[in-house]
Amino acid sequence: MLNYNQALPKNTLIQDLQMKEIKPIMKLIIRGKKREFISAVGKSLNILLPTEANTSAQSDKLTAVWLSPDEWMIYSNEPVDENTNNYKTEELLNNYISKLNLGAVTDVTDQFVMINLKGNKIYELFQTGSPFNFDDFQNKKGAVTQTILNKIDIIVHNQDKNAVNLFVRRSFSQHLFSWMNDAASRL
Amino acid sequence: MFVINCPFCGEREQSEFKAGGEAHIVRPKQPTELSDDEWAEYLFMRKNIKGVQFERWNHAHGCRKWFNMVRDTSNDEIKAVYKMGEKPPIE
Repeated sequence: MLNYNQALPKNTLIQDLQMKEIKPIMKLIIRGKKREFISAVGKSLNILLPTEANTSAQSDKLTAVWLSPDEWMIYSNEPVDENTNNYKTEELLNNYISKLNLGAVTDVTDQFVMINLKGNKIYELFQTGSPFNFDDFQNKKGAVTQTILNKIDIIVHNQDKNAVNLFVRRSFSQHLFSWMNDAASRL
Repeated sequence: MFVINCPFCGEREQSEFKAGGEAHIVRPKQPTELSDDEWAEYLFMRKNIKGVQFERWNHAHGCRKWFNMVRDTSNDEIKAVYKMGEKPPIE
């Protein structure tokens, strides 16, 4: 059974910046290089994988974010049922991708923690601990980047204006969250 | 500190990357036929020149892809960046 435990202590609101863990969100990493792979994912999930760097695609239920030329993360837009680890999305991908040797599907639901940030000081916060230039990123809805925040690897998805989803490895999440709270209090 | 243009992600700061040493070192086709000196030459000896050098880099904190870079080690000027398997754009 996957770990659906709360990774972070509590939701916080500091200086108009709201930070909270959203759980449980299904997260899958898919890898593949063939053209058939991309079309098989498109057909099985009804979502076209973004091939342009640093972008994402969204359907009613799922979001696909570009991680590298042959790697994407797919996550559910809404929390999933806490009583099961069986996801229809994963089952479909296993049938249409893994079993046909078109690519690899890895369940990273309990590996990554998703933190939702809302407020107009998100990028001011990021600027205090990240080498990435968020100037263009913040005006581009759906933009995605993998970078470092306080020396911790993160994935950031620009969901909407002043709203982002941040993915961090579970083992780093408490430290990052505590750092973000501290940094936000000093903005 | 300098900015590197990752061929996959675009411009990123150097701290997101890891240097992977000299590029275009070809592994001998028959290692068992080499003398110890020849094997050591392949395994350990690097030019490490002051000037224009061909290097491998990895975007470790981004797309995690390897690529090649032509860099002037004396002033960190990046002359070119190109993907693995591609020919160097400059000699």
